[in-house]
Amino acid sequence: MTTIHDDARFDSIAVLALGALPPAEARELEAHIAECELCRREYDEMRAAVDALALSAEVTPAEFGGEQCARLRSRVMDSVRASAAPTTAAKVTMLAERRRPVATWIAYAAAAAALVLAIFSTWNLATLRSENAANQSQLALLQAQLDAQDRSTNEARAQLMLEESRLADLIAPGAKRFAVQDGVVVRSGRRILMALRHLPALPKGKTYQAWTLRRGAKAVSPSITFAPDATGLALIELPESAGNVAAVAVSVEPEGGSKQPTSKPNFVRSLS
Amino acid sequence: MARVRERDVTAFEAVYDGFHRLVYGIAFKMLGDPSAAEDLAQAVFLKVWSSPEAFGGGNFGAWIARVTRNRALDVLRSRATRPETEMPANIPLEGSLDESVFARLDGERVRSALAALPDEQRRPIELGFFGGMTHDEIARRSGLPLGTVKTRIRAGLKKLRVSLEGSVL
Repeated sequence: MTTIHDDARFDSIAVLALGALPPAEARELEAHIAECELCRREYDEMRAAVDALALSAEVTPAEFGGEQCARLRSRVMDSVRASAAPTTAAKVTMLAERRRPVATWIAYAAAAAALVLAIFSTWNLATLRSENAANQSQLALLQAQLDAQDRSTNEARAQLMLEESRLADLIAPGAKRFAVQDGVVVRSGRRILMALRHLPALPKGKTYQAWTLRRGAKAVSPSITFAPDATGLALIELPESAGNVAAVAVSVEPEGGSKQPTSKPNFVRSLS
Repeated sequence: MARVRERDVTAFEAVYDGFHRLVYGIAFKMLGDPSAAEDLAQAVFLKVWSSPEAFGGGNFGAWIARVTRNRALDVLRSRATRPETEMPANIPLEGSLDESVFARLDGERVRSALAALPDEQRRPIELGFFGGMTHDEIARRSGLPLGTVKTRIRAGLKKLRVSLEGSVL
């Protein structure tokens, strides 16, 4: 598309801002907008109106409240708290730390009970209380272990939901697949996913980093960093919108990622 | 969001409380099913929690509204029996409302401005935004020439902007 300005494009720009322009036309128009100040300004104005439009859907407490609102909040916050829970190693440490004072307390309680028995052999009440307290401590410990298992299960469930969503996109009938070395890049709607295997574990201080090349851009932009699992498999979703991305790449970078690639990419793949 | 990136649950809770009515509302308006809308809203917020870096700054409200709409479009597309239509492309956050403007808008004010548009302008805008239709699909459904649909969309969006401009835009 030519970069010469033409007011006739304004109608299409409104449709683009609304998100109702088919992808091929949208890409062409986006390329023009990137070069044309007048069209850019028009797009910005239309986009502001469209952003405001989203607010018209906001529900009021009367429309969305009570049990339904509480249920959603609980579903979201339970998953979030579960995933924010300490790691397994930390849980083990935490439980061990809890166990230690309990064990100590039980020992003191037993010693105290023995002393009481020695002095007041006919007075069984203290012994019974001591046993009751010890039992309650054991119950509290078991409850803590169950809570930790629940958090772990919720964490796994939340992670599974995310993985399922990504897998669904990987096999979606409308998705476009682009083979890369030991894997595939998938464009599904606006989402970009990568399924890569046989990725070697990297030494400490190194990470894998994805890169995207925006349409019309001359240099790649940094995307997310990631690490494969123990089997060398990585299933990741890039945060960028597929509509603007012409190519993707992966390289090995220092921990925390780089602003520009510092090593030869593992692969560079055009998405057209 | 900076605190959410640091895995601060309390900060995330504040984000949830500030935007759940918007996220659920968009999902419900697009999917028309409370249960599906809840599922989608949950997925959106878990995405915010698991990938906070996806928000690159700017107007968070506009960003999460776009994320929600895109997810809802995915669901609509998977439900559709018609041949697969590619998602309309979009340009991310450049040109969106700034945070303070977005905060001063409210659903009621925008609903009033939208209701004040002539049907012939409001309808294609709603079909495009909430129905996830492309301009071709809107034209076919309305029985109107494509050029007319595009002109009406632009006219409607301009009016909407002017109508809200006096107050906040």
